[in-house]
Amino acid sequence: MVAVISMLVEDEPGVMQRIMGEFTRKRINVETIVVGKCERPDKARIVLSVTEPAKAEAVLEHLKSMQEIVEAEIVDESRHEAYALMLNGHGEARMTGSIEEIADVIEKTKPQKYIRTISAL
Amino acid sequence: MKGSRVVVELLERQEVEVAFGIPGGVLLPLYDELVTAKFRHILTRHEQCAAHMADGYARASRKPGVCIATSGPGATNLVTGVATAFMDSSPLVAITGQVATGMLGADAFQEADSFGIMMPITKHNFRVTEAKQLPKVIKRAFGIATTGRFGPVHIDIPSDVFVADIPEKELERDYPTPPPRRNLSKLLDAVKLLESAERPTILVGGGAQWSSAGPEILKLAEILMAPVVTTLMGKGVVPDAHPLVLGVVGMHGRQGANYALHNCDVLLGIGTRFSDRVTGKVSEFAKTTKIIHVDIDASEIDKNVKGHIALIGDAWTATNALISGLQSRSIKQSEWKNRIKELKAACTCDFDISGEPIKPQKVIKELSRYLPEDAIITTEVGQNQMWCSHFLEMNGKRQFITSGGLGTMGFGFPAALGAKVAKPDKAVVDVAGDGSLQMVSHEFATSIQDDIPVVVCLMNNGWLGMVKQWQKLFYEKRYKATTLGNVPDFVKLAQAYGADAIKIEKASELKEGIKRAVKSDVAFLLDIAIDPEEDILPMIPPGKKTSDTIYGRCKFKCSI
Repeated sequence: MVAVISMLVEDEPGVMQRIMGEFTRKRINVETIVVGKCERPDKARIVLSVTEPAKAEAVLEHLKSMQEIVEAEIVDESRHEAYALMLNGHGEARMTGSIEEIADVIEKTKPQKYIRTISAL
Repeated sequence: MKGSRVVVELLERQEVEVAFGIPGGVLLPLYDELVTAKFRHILTRHEQCAAHMADGYARASRKPGVCIATSGPGATNLVTGVATAFMDSSPLVAITGQVATGMLGADAFQEADSFGIMMPITKHNFRVTEAKQLPKVIKRAFGIATTGRFGPVHIDIPSDVFVADIPEKELERDYPTPPPRRNLSKLLDAVKLLESAERPTILVGGGAQWSSAGPEILKLAEILMAPVVTTLMGKGVVPDAHPLVLGVVGMHGRQGANYALHNCDVLLGIGTRFSDRVTGKVSEFAKTTKIIHVDIDASEIDKNVKGHIALIGDAWTATNALISGLQSRSIKQSEWKNRIKELKAACTCDFDISGEPIKPQKVIKELSRYLPEDAIITTEVGQNQMWCSHFLEMNGKRQFITSGGLGTMGFGFPAALGAKVAKPDKAVVDVAGDGSLQMVSHEFATSIQDDIPVVVCLMNNGWLGMVKQWQKLFYEKRYKATTLGNVPDFVKLAQAYGADAIKIEKASELKEGIKRAVKSDVAFLLDIAIDPEEDILPMIPPGKKTSDTIYGRCKFKCSI
């Protein structure tokens, strides 16, 4: 099981450190991280996935109470989106799809190198 | 306007009365502006104590305390004080100098990553890397510290920002901090649950102290005929003499209070985080009890104990809402009311023990009797703190200030100095242990130089008493690193700073000593030789249940 937390944050130095510090302190292992510019100037969007949904629930209010986090929510499964960049003998491949689809492709093609992450809107 | 002038100007506009601090290289431009500042600056002898004084000031005045330290070691010394304030939700604005922005990350002289270090122990913190942000940051810092759940905010200011020119119009913009969302949507559920409760109990925490909700809580208790028990941080919110008030709960709590806490069917927790020192073994806590949790901070809900009705709002507002919800309803008068009377009566052991060596309980008894009725009492951490927690009688006017969450030894003396600055007309007494006092005894210098006469009531037993007690009870008396060897001579130490001091070895001398000390024009140390073998009992051993209590002199078990 994967829980995905999406946040709209101030695009300022130190924000990632503060958020990751909270996860470290509460012993929540973060599986994937996507950070990027978004539709609002001076803001950024952060999408984190964790493997323990109960812990995601527990940390959500703490995240919401942070000054630099404008919004934080746990994203419904239907909106999860996986992405992978893979390298094998034939060159590089990139792929998007559901978490299961991407896991399936990686399992079958066994790329020499890959990175897989999860995003959501 | 110069950056350093901006800092002083904005502190003045926040109506800051006093800043506690120590200057340093990168702070020279700021201290140059402090020469003409409208507020007082108190030079402490260690930055940790600057933070504790600001904290004590904040707790006594309910206004944000300001402390200042230089870069590197100044900032790291401040850490313990800031963490203490954070754990007890005390509003501080802590300002540190930093090396110039161009030097950041170069391991410059006196550089430490204060921004990173302070991050997990502050409500929020800022590093000002562009001078024009400075006005916004200072205004935001005060807003954040004093909005919703209070807490310390740290501002790290590089030296070049202090000398940069900032357009004056930047000072005129406002940056309001929105209050946290209140959510009393479960009020009706809470009212119904309380109405139908057979054995309701109210647990009062530090949130009620910050929100000054004591009288409202008593009113609610009277409507419900519910006993009121408090956490360490809630001590003093309600007067101990009230028939429904059973005192402090927890590891060293009053047995009547613990009984009510663990035998109620509905528990109303107001402004408390249900810390491990209150709940004991959390898996055993309130297994069948229904809990209503009032807290200003939504992130406290479900943090330590789970699955209850949550009212999110400040203690005062939520309590008043409960009162209006319950007033029109008929509360049945149950057997619980009689049980409370029995509990109260069973918890009145006589601790007016005369004779020598002086028993610590006797010292607290005499303080309860002879301190002025509106005195402020601070404590250090350890046995001295728990003796106060258990035995000190609060009357609703006295204030109790202690490091509850972090448990910082050396907090009480500087906090007393800060409280005295906030309330110069009140008697302020630090109940200390000889271990704690030695961590901060240099602040006698501050008290003399800045004319802050507080009383230090030293419970001197020559041990790091609380750790010794645990070694005695749980480690077969294998004492290690807990004896303090009866040095120094505290009377001479205090006198060396210009404070007044007496040694007390007879119980009969306590009364006169206390009366003399609170009248003193200078700091006054009462060096009281207490029985080194007297423990703080009763005690629920860590991680154990109330049935495992070690009673000592407490006769509660026999009488209930």
